[in-house]
Amino acid sequence: MKARDRQRLELLQGTLDMIVLRTLSWGPQHGYGISQMIRTASGEVLQVETGSLYPALHRLERQGWLRSEWKQSENKQRTKVYRLTPAGRKQLVAQQSQWDRLHAAIDGLMNARESPA
Amino acid sequence: MKLPWIRRGEIDDEIRAHLRLAIEDRVARGESPAEAERLARLELGNDLLVRERTRDVWAGVGFERWLQDLRYALRRVRRSPGFATIAILTLALGLGAVTSTFAIVNSVLLEPLHYRDGSRLFSVVNLPPPGAPNRYWLINGRHFYEWRAHCRSCQDIGMAESIGFSLSGSGETERFSGLRVSYNFFRTLDVAPALGRDFRADEELAGHVLILSDAVWRTRFAADPGVVGRTVRVSGEPYEIVGVMPAGFRLPLGRQWGPAFGPPDTQPAMFRPLGQDFSKVGPDGNNNYVAVVRLKAGISPSQTISELNALIADFVRQFGIEPKPTLLPLQHTMVRDARDGLLLLFGIAITTLLIVCVNVGNLMLVRAASRDREIGIRAALGSSRQQLFVLILTETLVLVAIGSIAGFILAKAALAAFSAWAPRDIPRLADIHAGPRVWVMTMAAAVVATLVCGLLPAWRMTSADPHRALKAGALTHTEHGRKIRLRELMVGIEVALSSVLLVVGALLATSFLRVLSVPKGVAIEHVITQDVSTSIAGVTDDDRIRFAGEALQRLAAIPGVLDVGVTNQLPLRGESWICGLRDAGPPNHKEIALANFRFVSPGFWDATGTRIRQGGAFRESDRERPVALISEHAARVLWPGQDPIGKHVGGCNGAVSLEVVGVVDDVRAEMEKEAPVTVYQPYWTMPISRPYFVVRTRERPETVAGDVRAALHAVNPEFAVGQAMTMQEIVESSVNGRRFQMNLVVAFAAFALVLASLGIYGVLSFSVARRTPELGIRLALGARATALGAMVVRQGMAPVLGGLVVGLIGAIAAGRAISSELYGVPPNDLPTFAAVAILLLLVGLCASWLPARRAMRTNPLKALRFE
Repeated sequence: MKARDRQRLELLQGTLDMIVLRTLSWGPQHGYGISQMIRTASGEVLQVETGSLYPALHRLERQGWLRSEWKQSENKQRTKVYRLTPAGRKQLVAQQSQWDRLHAAIDGLMNARESPA
Repeated sequence: MKLPWIRRGEIDDEIRAHLRLAIEDRVARGESPAEAERLARLELGNDLLVRERTRDVWAGVGFERWLQDLRYALRRVRRSPGFATIAILTLALGLGAVTSTFAIVNSVLLEPLHYRDGSRLFSVVNLPPPGAPNRYWLINGRHFYEWRAHCRSCQDIGMAESIGFSLSGSGETERFSGLRVSYNFFRTLDVAPALGRDFRADEELAGHVLILSDAVWRTRFAADPGVVGRTVRVSGEPYEIVGVMPAGFRLPLGRQWGPAFGPPDTQPAMFRPLGQDFSKVGPDGNNNYVAVVRLKAGISPSQTISELNALIADFVRQFGIEPKPTLLPLQHTMVRDARDGLLLLFGIAITTLLIVCVNVGNLMLVRAASRDREIGIRAALGSSRQQLFVLILTETLVLVAIGSIAGFILAKAALAAFSAWAPRDIPRLADIHAGPRVWVMTMAAAVVATLVCGLLPAWRMTSADPHRALKAGALTHTEHGRKIRLRELMVGIEVALSSVLLVVGALLATSFLRVLSVPKGVAIEHVITQDVSTSIAGVTDDDRIRFAGEALQRLAAIPGVLDVGVTNQLPLRGESWICGLRDAGPPNHKEIALANFRFVSPGFWDATGTRIRQGGAFRESDRERPVALISEHAARVLWPGQDPIGKHVGGCNGAVSLEVVGVVDDVRAEMEKEAPVTVYQPYWTMPISRPYFVVRTRERPETVAGDVRAALHAVNPEFAVGQAMTMQEIVESSVNGRRFQMNLVVAFAAFALVLASLGIYGVLSFSVARRTPELGIRLALGARATALGAMVVRQGMAPVLGGLVVGLIGAIAAGRAISSELYGVPPNDLPTFAAVAILLLLVGLCASWLPARRAMRTNPLKALRFE
């Protein structure tokens, strides 16, 4: 993997992970449901690519923040449903506060008037 | 932990479900199904890529990681074929040895006999009075009769005697050995014939009925199921075949039952009822029988032993004999003689496997040292110690896995070879097989091997400090502390284990030579023996005696024959014809020991080359005079310190009092036992149904074999002439088991020695190669080459010396453990130990010499130019 790719990926990855965790904090959901929720909740602005979503889900599962199980849906289809683990919940809180601080800092920086001195 | 291919399928399912949900969603929003599918697929993108990326998330985790390690290990093994070959071959040998010897121990010693409730089966033997030469006596038929009638703790008790059968009636007359048995003998064992029926109670005294063994049924009767009901002639009389025993039916062999019970190494070929009423036998009877007892459930052997003793108390009082019946588990009866020998083999195999493991571990360690940098880099790149550990262990596992498969194949072959070539006196030889227990054993041995070989190198390597490994230039090595000590420790262990094997092998080899050189009492060269069966209907006792006399005359007339003799039993073929030994002169007639009785012709001692020490042989002219010769041992027992000539000894065949006219050298009945007490009576006092003729020749004895056969045939063409055997062959066959055992152990020991020298050489030459720059500096600074060589040799010999000391101490314990297998050599025999020590030191020196020479020839310029 080229260094440039990885940098971009890591940035995306961090944010995407947080968004996925947040989505699942509302309740268990399968992969398609997660992508639809992100889309609706962001007012159709954020659209997660499948090629990023599933690696992210598996990565989070591997880290122990998600647990998955196979379930029968209403129309008797098998889907894999993810839910947040307690560790995942903690991780979400940590990421959320980190995001809040970063957001506030960047916001302050971007919207500050020119310093008089 | 999920298996990779299961995870792969799950990911495929997951993506497929995603697509399906997307399509359903779109259709629900009003798109046409075709359009919905097209758009959903577009949205999904390259689904192959998606799946692959998702799978990649799991790469390097758990099983996937291990599979990577496995592939890597396989690659490494392939890349060093020399090392891999040595490791796999030696492991295969070690594992194969352990597996096959365990299969033998398991099938012979551990698996129960094929009798129902075999644990309740015992054989009855008599303990002789203290001081008597035999360990056990056979039992008395009269006693058996009391036991069967009255024993209340016995569920059943059966008796048997070994006898010969001359079978005719279909095909030519053939001789077999078999048993005559009480009608309830098979019922006691709880084995029914596979074909036909068992004997009935009313057949015990006079029934002319016969039960065949499976083997005879197959060879003689072509496994004909219609054989039951057919009449054959046994020793000339008509017998009806009523049954055939099952194929797996086994009894203890002659030598396992006790001294002098029939042919030592063969299973009985057929059975007939006793044909004798033992309640009418004189109560002092003779001790020629074996008995099998099945205890009632819940009865302890000691209860039955005291009951059996109580039942014959009257006889014991009346006749002043002191047999003490006791019980041996039937399984023990069968395997007791072979037990120590088999366990010895198993122990040797385990030791060999340990040496192999240590050796492979050592080679890995040496190899590992050159991987310091690789391991260091891996550690620096973030591999955890645990991951590295698994990585290195996996490499060992690959070697052990291949080695154990090869080992199992080897073990199968070894078992087949063992069954074919092992001496016949190993019990249950036909039962030997590799069953599930053996598989488990291989697995266990393989796991232990992996641990022993892999653990140390893995632990050692992963404890390396990555900084140091990376910092140090590959070529600037001097030897540093701990690692070298570990390698030397392993060489030491190898040397120690090898010296134990060598001592055991040397002790057995010495025993073998001692056995061969034991004073046998007979000449080995230029003597041939030939047996004849006279068991045909209508042949009277007088006919038999006359036959022997005529045959002796004819044999003596053959050109090249020096002396001829006849006897009822050959030397070195086991004890037989046992009767009580009595001083027939006043004041008492008490049996003081058991004696082997031999019925021989006057020329017998000349023919066997046995020296007559006092007096002389009886003569044909002594026919009317009751005379006997006795062995030295008999003279010692009967009249210690007195002149036996002219004294009187009790005979075996009712000849109550025989005048002793001579004393002869002791003749062994078994190679490894003191010569038995022996009494010689003239052959004309006892009709012998199977006489053995002994012929001493001027030239090689085989040359007269044909003439001997022809001469005997000429005397009576109806008698079956058996297999001629030279005395040399008799000696060979009696040391066969020992030779077999010694060869195996010595082969293992030699293998161990090679491995040990390989270990010493490997460690030293590697160390010299690594130290080339250091040696170069030393030389450049003025060190003498010989001093460097001496240094290397010293370094090589240190673990050899240490291992030798530990090993010799261990060998003392090992020698003691195998003392029952030794003959004529103490378990701590000093010359043996010294020889092993010298041998190992020499091998150590040789193995150190090559690396030392390389060190001495180091070219300082070249060595330093590497820097």
